[in-house]
Amino acid sequence: MTKDPANRESFGASIWRKTLAGVGVKFAFAWVGLLVFGAVFAPFLANSAPLLMYKNAAISAPVLQYLSVEDAWVLAMFFIVCLLQRLRLSTGKRILLFLLGGVVAALLANLFVKPPVLVIYDDFRTAAYTDVDWRIMPPIPYAPTDYLRDLGSKGLEAPFETKGRVHLLGTEENGADVLSRMIHACRISLSIGFIASGIALLIGVVVGGLMGYFSGIVDMLGMRLVEIFEDIPTLFLLLTFVAFFGRNLYMMMVIIGVTSWSGYARYVRTEFLKLRKQDYVQAAVAGGLPLSSILFRHMLPNGVAPLLVAVSFGVASAILSEATLSFLGLGVVDAPSWGQMLDQAVKSSTFNWWMAVFPGGAIFMTVFAYNLIGEAFRDAIDPKLSRLSEES
Amino acid sequence: MGQALLEVRKLRTFLQSGNREVRAVDDISFSIPKGETFCLVGESGSGKSVSALSVIRLLPEGIASHPSGEILFNGKDLLTLDDAGIRAVRGSQIAMIFQEPMTSLNPVLSIGEQITEALQLHHPDMSDAEAEQRTIAALEQVQIPHASDRFRNYPHQLSGGQRQRVMIAMALACEPQLLIADEPTTALDVTVQAEILRLMRKLQDDTGMSMLFITHDFGVVAQMAQWVGVMQQGKLVEVGASTSVLRKPQHPYTQQLLAALPENLAKPSSTAPSYQLSGQGIVTDQSPLVQISGLKVWFPIQKGLLRRTVDYVRAVDDVSLAIPQGQIVALVGESGCGKTTLGRAVLQLEKPTAGNIKIDGQELTGLSARELRPLRRKMQIAFQDPQSSLNPRMLVETMLTEPMKVHGIGADNEERIELASQILESVQLHRDFLWRYPHEFSGGQRQRIGLARALVLNPEFIVCDEITSALDVSVQAEILQLLLSIRQQRNLTLLFITHNIGVVEYLSDQTVVMYKGKIVERGETGRVCKSPQHPYTQKLLAAVPRLLI
Repeated sequence: MTKDPANRESFGASIWRKTLAGVGVKFAFAWVGLLVFGAVFAPFLANSAPLLMYKNAAISAPVLQYLSVEDAWVLAMFFIVCLLQRLRLSTGKRILLFLLGGVVAALLANLFVKPPVLVIYDDFRTAAYTDVDWRIMPPIPYAPTDYLRDLGSKGLEAPFETKGRVHLLGTEENGADVLSRMIHACRISLSIGFIASGIALLIGVVVGGLMGYFSGIVDMLGMRLVEIFEDIPTLFLLLTFVAFFGRNLYMMMVIIGVTSWSGYARYVRTEFLKLRKQDYVQAAVAGGLPLSSILFRHMLPNGVAPLLVAVSFGVASAILSEATLSFLGLGVVDAPSWGQMLDQAVKSSTFNWWMAVFPGGAIFMTVFAYNLIGEAFRDAIDPKLSRLSEES
Repeated sequence: MGQALLEVRKLRTFLQSGNREVRAVDDISFSIPKGETFCLVGESGSGKSVSALSVIRLLPEGIASHPSGEILFNGKDLLTLDDAGIRAVRGSQIAMIFQEPMTSLNPVLSIGEQITEALQLHHPDMSDAEAEQRTIAALEQVQIPHASDRFRNYPHQLSGGQRQRVMIAMALACEPQLLIADEPTTALDVTVQAEILRLMRKLQDDTGMSMLFITHDFGVVAQMAQWVGVMQQGKLVEVGASTSVLRKPQHPYTQQLLAALPENLAKPSSTAPSYQLSGQGIVTDQSPLVQISGLKVWFPIQKGLLRRTVDYVRAVDDVSLAIPQGQIVALVGESGCGKTTLGRAVLQLEKPTAGNIKIDGQELTGLSARELRPLRRKMQIAFQDPQSSLNPRMLVETMLTEPMKVHGIGADNEERIELASQILESVQLHRDFLWRYPHEFSGGQRQRIGLARALVLNPEFIVCDEITSALDVSVQAEILQLLLSIRQQRNLTLLFITHNIGVVEYLSDQTVVMYKGKIVERGETGRVCKSPQHPYTQKLLAAVPRLLI
């Protein structure tokens, strides 16, 4: 029947409302939100250094002194995103400002953040930090690479096993706190998911868009390219690259991104094949608008919906790829990651349930959450389903 | 009125939509005598289809409710029947045919199977051979040529008109007493429509069935109905014998609808000087604005592994046409005759296979996108489908100002927004509509926005591709009047593509008739409509259902 004329909800807002309608998806968003929170504020959540302390009539924040360049950059990006959310700008301008802010923040962080080269965590438990008037410690007072040598940790302590120290999720074989490591590992999981998918999305949209819009010979060549990339076994390529160039997180992101764009290209191509004969696209052509505007302003926003679904699943699979690599012992060495912790659990001579359950559960929950979000998106976008839900 | 077969008394149908209740049908009463036809006529959303679906109880159970009313069919109230009871009535005593012949037949079953299934369902003891005989007889009855060969054909092998005949054959196979036809000819070409209507009248004479016929076209009403009911917003505002309702409408809404028909609109005196159209050009000193010569648009048919081109679809085949400045040229023809392709080829939206197109003396064919851009300002297009002609993700403001920006109209954004709001006002829309998205508008408003988008570049020439076909007749009248006034103000030249002869007569100065990719007749509208020369034009004009008042 006729639509309520007072209904002034934009398309994006209605998709968002329908996506959030389910119960499962709310938990999924809550979980992802928790991960983002953990990734951004990891140094303040789990660290051996006090957040604030008052000594000799002066307040100091040792955490800030030990903040790494990466920590500072992630924090800066978080606040840039929050700020952009507040400003009423077009999507294009937002993306531009975001990228610009990222570069500026990286430059500034490299110039001004100078953490000490060597961090000796045992120092934080000496008189210099403990003999104070008052101090505020992070909720988990252990850094992820703090092996508690001075406290005589023997490693592999089950949760709440140790007297005098609280390790909510136990300790790993070197004596470091598992929860602390897991919080810091959020960052790797999230960044590999988003950056690898971002790279794949960028290539996929451009290639798929050109294929769909021009069709014909461009389409044929593009499809062959897609097929070639689909045939590359990502995992073995990653193994090879790790063997040649060593373990580098950014290299992994690029390789996962470069090999997984073909699905997005297919989606965009199909959408564009459908859209290019739409009257409003024809009207844009008749108006003499430039190709970039026709492709990215007139067509892409209308074809982006199925892409969002694919991206949520893509993020999940990128996280899994990284976890697999780390599990195989080929991931990053210096920073903790969930896959690497699982690897530790397997390599240990005894079975330590906490080493397997918590990181494994985190990987499971994250992949599950992204899949839930992807499915909710898909249902929200599907016009048939939405009509059913409105009628009933 | 003779003995009533169907009597609807004070029927209400409410539909549940989210939390709201829509009074789709609100207290209507009518009756259909045996062997006669009752037409329900009204604009879209007036509740005429819902009324028909209520009669046959096809509305979804949980959503539709009937707070009051009786539907007496042979004295039995259909609303009180249980599921098994209504199933026994459906198909065997009341049959229904739908608007869209493409989707109302099952594509994976042959047409013979579909009809025999309906037959055997209602006559379980009928043998296969007998059912086949009856089916072939039914197909012959609806004048499908070579019915016994067609038995094993699938729906995609038939044309739209033939499919609608098959639908009618299926509906009539069980010899129902009442046939409900929901806009059965709306999706068909006018010549096919005339054949189907003739067929339905003949079948009614042969079988003595009654018909509940739903349409929005008063011309069809005049041809089909003994009785007519006019619906407006769920209410039946006027009921009566069709001759008296059409000749002397009592209710203001009926009067308004009839007055909005293009043939009844007061034709403004044309100020444009008349020219003689010809293939070579016009016989005046002024050169035409748009000159098309020898235009061909062929689409290759590719087959086999190597995609070899085996043949071409000759959508536009050697067309020459000159459109003089300031004239409205109507391009008439059936669906698939190439009129839309021609319109798009003129704007270089479709690449011509051969031929030349000149606007203002400048050649368009063979130009690159960059070379074409300055010329695009001169020519624009407005589309048929109000749903797909506006980008659903864009503010009206963006739609209107972006082309201006590209073509350097207006110094800054503020000036462009001011210009855009003036254009919106010139198509009689409020300037605040700039800040809305397309889904907030009705079909007529969307078509106005589509026109505004075509006007922002201040073009000299606009192709209007069936811009009123998807609209209700009263909205169509408004758009046509608007188009004429804009033409006056801006000295526009229009190529108006349509299949509606009434619109042609009202609007255009010149008429061009296309048939199978070629122009078969051209000339002044009055001359072409009154004394058509070409046999196809004569057939087309004879097929138009007219309301003679």
